Amino acid sequence: MSENKVTIFIDDVPYQLSSEDNLLAGVLSEKLNLPYFCWHPSMGSVGACRQCAVTQFQDEDDQRGRIVMACITPVTDGMRISIKHKEASEFREQVIAAMMTNHPHDCPVCAEGGECHLQDMTVMTGHSVRDYQGTKRTFNNQYLGDLVGHEMNRCITCYRCTRFYNDYAGGKDFGVYGSKNQVYFGRQSDGALESEFSGNLVEVCPTGVFTNKVFSSHYTRKWDLQSAPSVCSHCSVGCNLSIGERYGSVRRVMNRYNGDINGYFICDRGRFGIGFVNGDQRIRQVRGIAQQSPVSLTKLDVAKALSHFRKKNFIGIGSARASLEANFYLKNIVGAEQFSPGYNDEEMKVAAQHAQLQAANKAPSLADIENSDFILIIAEDISQTAPRMALSVRQALRNAANDKAAKIGIPAWQDSAVRTIGGKLLSPLFSLQSTSTKLDDVSEQALLLPIEQISQCLVTLAKLLSLGQDKKVNNDKALELALTDLAEQNQLSVRQQSFISSVYRGLRKANKPLFISGTSAGSADLLSNIASLVSAFKQQSEIIAPELIIVPPCSNSVGLLSILDKHSLSIEQVLAQLNDSNKSYQGLILLEQELAKLSEEQISQLRKSAQTLIVLDHSEHRLATIADIVLPVAAVSEGDGHYVNYQGRAQQFFQVHPPVLPVQESWRWLDNIADIVGIKMPSTTSTDGNNNAQHAQVVAKKHRCESLTQLQQFFIDTYPQWPKLLTKNSEKTQQKAIARMSHRASGRTAQMANITVHEAKVTQKSDDDFTFSMEGKSAGQSSEMPFVWAPGWNSNQAIGQFQAEINGQLLKQNAAVFIPAAIDIVNNPCWQLTEKNIDNTFKSSVTENKTFNLLTYVQQKNVYFSDWQAAQTVEFQMLRASNQIHISAETAKQAGVKKGQWCKVVFSATNNKMQLVSQSIISQVVTVNHLPSSLAFGNFSLCQSLSHELEMTIALACDQELTDYLAQFNDGLIAAKKSQENILKRLKTKDQTIPIRLCSGGLNDG
Amino acid sequence: MAEQISNNSLKPLTQWVNLQQPLSLDDYCQAGGYQGAKIALQHAPKEVLEIVKNSGLKGRGGAGFPTGMKWSFVPMFEDGDEDAPDNKYLVANADEMEPGTFKDRLLLEGLPHQLVEAMIIAAYTIGANKSYIFLRGEYHLAAKRLQQAIDEAYQNNWLGEKIQGSAYSMDLYVHCSAGRYICGEETALINALEGKRAIPRAKPPFPQVSGLFGKPTIVNNVETLCNLPHILKNGIAWFQAIAPNSDAGSKIYGACGRIKNPGLWELPMGPTLREVLYDYAGGMQEGLQFRGLLPGGASTDFLVAEHLDTPMDFDSIAKVGSRLGTGGLIVLDDKNCPVAMVLNLMRFFAQESCGWCTPCRDGTPWAVEVLSRIEQGQGKIQDLDTLAKLCDFMWIGKTHCALAPGAVEPLRSALKYFHDDFLQHIEHGCCHYNPSMSAKRTKVAQSPASNIQSSQATLSPTSSKAGQ
Repeated sequence: MSENKVTIFIDDVPYQLSSEDNLLAGVLSEKLNLPYFCWHPSMGSVGACRQCAVTQFQDEDDQRGRIVMACITPVTDGMRISIKHKEASEFREQVIAAMMTNHPHDCPVCAEGGECHLQDMTVMTGHSVRDYQGTKRTFNNQYLGDLVGHEMNRCITCYRCTRFYNDYAGGKDFGVYGSKNQVYFGRQSDGALESEFSGNLVEVCPTGVFTNKVFSSHYTRKWDLQSAPSVCSHCSVGCNLSIGERYGSVRRVMNRYNGDINGYFICDRGRFGIGFVNGDQRIRQVRGIAQQSPVSLTKLDVAKALSHFRKKNFIGIGSARASLEANFYLKNIVGAEQFSPGYNDEEMKVAAQHAQLQAANKAPSLADIENSDFILIIAEDISQTAPRMALSVRQALRNAANDKAAKIGIPAWQDSAVRTIGGKLLSPLFSLQSTSTKLDDVSEQALLLPIEQISQCLVTLAKLLSLGQDKKVNNDKALELALTDLAEQNQLSVRQQSFISSVYRGLRKANKPLFISGTSAGSADLLSNIASLVSAFKQQSEIIAPELIIVPPCSNSVGLLSILDKHSLSIEQVLAQLNDSNKSYQGLILLEQELAKLSEEQISQLRKSAQTLIVLDHSEHRLATIADIVLPVAAVSEGDGHYVNYQGRAQQFFQVHPPVLPVQESWRWLDNIADIVGIKMPSTTSTDGNNNAQHAQVVAKKHRCESLTQLQQFFIDTYPQWPKLLTKNSEKTQQKAIARMSHRASGRTAQMANITVHEAKVTQKSDDDFTFSMEGKSAGQSSEMPFVWAPGWNSNQAIGQFQAEINGQLLKQNAAVFIPAAIDIVNNPCWQLTEKNIDNTFKSSVTENKTFNLLTYVQQKNVYFSDWQAAQTVEFQMLRASNQIHISAETAKQAGVKKGQWCKVVFSATNNKMQLVSQSIISQVVTVNHLPSSLAFGNFSLCQSLSHELEMTIALACDQELTDYLAQFNDGLIAAKKSQENILKRLKTKDQTIPIRLCSGGLNDG
Repeated sequence: MAEQISNNSLKPLTQWVNLQQPLSLDDYCQAGGYQGAKIALQHAPKEVLEIVKNSGLKGRGGAGFPTGMKWSFVPMFEDGDEDAPDNKYLVANADEMEPGTFKDRLLLEGLPHQLVEAMIIAAYTIGANKSYIFLRGEYHLAAKRLQQAIDEAYQNNWLGEKIQGSAYSMDLYVHCSAGRYICGEETALINALEGKRAIPRAKPPFPQVSGLFGKPTIVNNVETLCNLPHILKNGIAWFQAIAPNSDAGSKIYGACGRIKNPGLWELPMGPTLREVLYDYAGGMQEGLQFRGLLPGGASTDFLVAEHLDTPMDFDSIAKVGSRLGTGGLIVLDDKNCPVAMVLNLMRFFAQESCGWCTPCRDGTPWAVEVLSRIEQGQGKIQDLDTLAKLCDFMWIGKTHCALAPGAVEPLRSALKYFHDDFLQHIEHGCCHYNPSMSAKRTKVAQSPASNIQSSQATLSPTSSKAGQ
């Protein structure tokens, strides 16, 4: 965007502006103040609010000029405009005055107050006297769910909400109603917003129509928040967040601009999922360690409790939601041979495949996704597992319309014009899934298949490619012929054939194709087929090889992947090792690992075989309740560390507020453990890097790790494999730290006056880039801004003041840090797939399915519940939906059930011990056209052994069963509601006794 | 409405209009109907376009844009052109909602076949295979009669596949509007036709390039279209000879208000206002004096006695500061309050604002608020400044479409020509035209506000209403 600069004159001063964006974006890029409402940097211009009026002059002699709206005016060379010109500035004031005729002026009780774009713009235009003497129009508000509040009277009708919700994010349950000055933005009737991007309305709305309900319920002004730059801990996209805290409780999450990743928007899991930090399920006390002092736990207490573990061997299970540092530390305490990522055998194979793909293909960023012109999504419901990515995919689909508009000279920022021209035209999106997804509405073709048949389609596509290389399929007819041949070999249905041929033809036209898949299906075969497909692309020249994204489930999945090697253990191996009498393991250390996939039986087996079970976690789970020692761990807002996103991009999250001891970051607990147990060091005698783990010695740890910087220094000094890139952060010149709080704007200094009138000492933290204070350098001085604020710009829209140009990089942007993919895990023969294996497995299963009428059940992913950590948030628990099973229309017909009916569904299968397992579920039936009868999917989970080769019987549920189920379901919702009330009550009580820590760090020495 | 229509060939549009029973297809053909379409189909579209261009036909919807020029913006494609859209559209704008205007209704109800024929010609010229008549929702009779005409046309192969043996096919549909004034704006009309909110679109792209469903589209007023069969049948020279001045053809003029003979008259372009008002409309009713008029519907500036000799063509009316608009006069007499009239119009525009851009959405209700206070005798002298400011606030270039500037036109001209009335309202705290009100004060400064008197005023015995 920075190319094509032209000179224009703004109030007779020459500026160099990009001619590819509109005048408003150009003016704002130069950090000039020009008010606006309907324009949004990411959503373009529609010219509705008329707020950004400037005077345009024909030439130097033109004194009169004419008013134009900057947002719909292109930048042309030599153009002369004036912002200060009397007519334009008066008109801008009049526009505000007109909007204010109906605005309620309820700023003191409005959650937006103090960070309201409307307030900012009103001040900017200078409007201060009210001329209008009439009454104000009023509206009834709607219940939009428990996440987003609605106060329609405040609306100034800028249309941004519907443009985001409907046009940008593809929401269907929101709209514009009414006309004249009675325009209503909301749903057709009360009800929770269905889009997983609804929370962005809070930021998109220039005033307080849409508010963060969770934040409002325990409210504080923006200027009273203590914030730090953070990274979302809920999925692998790694959206940048700004988390705000006050009085020891996390209040809210706001989007933190990162041009490569999330831009201006995040999903609701990221925004509202922070609730788990304040939840009642948090572990706040140490269990299994005797505390000497009644006041606090000391390092000495820990040392005493752990003293008999000195130099003992442990098995450590890391996790994809713990920081890179914590996982790495654990691995080096227990040793590579005793480290497990907590994956089962199949997941280890998946990890091996994933690592290879990661190493061979550099995954594009979200900004790159938006440039794609062909997208194929394979067996991963990114709309639920990586929602922000799905939002980018939606934007990529507009490229076809943008191109069409460009042909008649309409630039992409002319949003409404481009939508008029494009109509329903979309770039091709193909979706090959086992469940329906929220992207189906924009996909050219969406095919639902069991995972084996998805693999089969990919194999066929790869074969087609190799034929294409030999020029055998250079026209449509030849393609059909070749495909029919292949289809016969692979038993493909007609729909599958037409899907593949459409994909193939689409790919031939594509200039920037992209494939997206993921690990949700848990199938190593699938990933291996993708790998061979991608290499097939690379071997030919006919079609541009697509870029590839593999979406793992957790915020640090790729970070965990990067420290796995051939010695890493699967859960099955861990169980076997623990039971191995030759190896005397002291026990098991679980690092933020709930092992959700393990059956109750396996859990009790684990408990039995582990002599000592040490659990480090932030929330209660079944392993924490049976552990010998439980160490409470800081949640993402309470500590420092790095997450590695799906691309391998390492991003640091910073401590927003120090937790109440003994809660501390898991790497600090591991540090305390390492002080006693010691660390594994590569033997100095071995020079061969590959073998050193086998000669690892237990040595005493000598470094002090009081801060993340010291920890990293210790890693760098000790372990050559620690990614050196991370050190960049710590090499910063010692400058004044940046304030976590905004400037003095209220009586915050008196916030503890009810306890003491003396000013408390600011919490100290060593090596911190940020101060727990309003004193320090302002936020904009850093690439990682705790919050955004600029003079005159109190809302999040202030971000424009810190971008090199609108939608560009931040002025102080640090270069992104990427972690190299480690593929040593592939060297373990256990996790390798043999070629033969791949081809045969699915074929046999397909035939089997056909003969025995067996089916596969797939659980739909859900943005709120699929991730264990996010599901701890009570607001999400309140969103739980009742059971639904999706079956093919035929199956429904055979079973004699209809859409919407409540049924009792019984699943049964014989497990590997040849026992009959069965499970019955009360569920509502949804029929899906073109769903293979060998596939069913739903929103409930089945036990581990029930996924493949199931028998399913469906019958109408009797009244009693249904009543029981619904009662139970409602009880769950009521309990969640109750729990939310309790948490709120507790937090508000706690506000009266502010926890002040003089030092932020680990336990004291005692 | 229109009566005593003679067989004058200078009244091509209304010559065969029959409001009791419109001509059937056969009768219409006998009267020379469908000859224009036949001629058009015998020419190449390019040639028809040239004829329309050279005829000098200007749009009769209000803006007066040359029709041929509008059509020439539609991209034409050769067979097999890759960029060619799968369709183009023609839309007849029959959403006649301009207050004081009812000319299209005459044509729709009185001679529906004329429009059908015209649309065949227009659609053929621009290469559209689908056409719509976007009809005002309240025109039930027109809807029925149009549908009958269309059915007849289909039966006789004037619509449908391969019209009259030519290679050209066209389908024609009637779409009844759900009823918004803004649908008269062509891009809002297109949005409404697509099932979207009736909001004017951003231009560019213009509908000629990207209109209905993103395809090239021409939207023409009913009266404009109805000229086409006659132009093709009788030729350019004939058409241009109708009018004595530079504007070509005839135009349906109308008048309403307290005049003796309200109605519609098809006249050669350019009669003076006086001619229409006195010769055709019969002048003011007994006992009433002429005060002013809106020359072309509600969204045009007032003209007063001094302008009565202005010819009613696009340029002349524009020269004296108003617009020809639809050519339907709304006449104001001396017993009706100009403030009340402007208020009434402003209420209409505030009601019909689509709600998209701020000046119109929030400016028109603001003007209503101020005007109603003045009308109720509660105005202040500063309110006149506010009104003047609002006129400026909603003026051309500052709004998204022409609705608000149109709404401003009667107001700003009323402020100019009827300034004394506004002043009196404010100074006397009442409306002199309203017999139920009496003056509360003689000067603003002396009695700033008096609510007691206003309640007394409502109790006072009412005299006979003005104008009766």
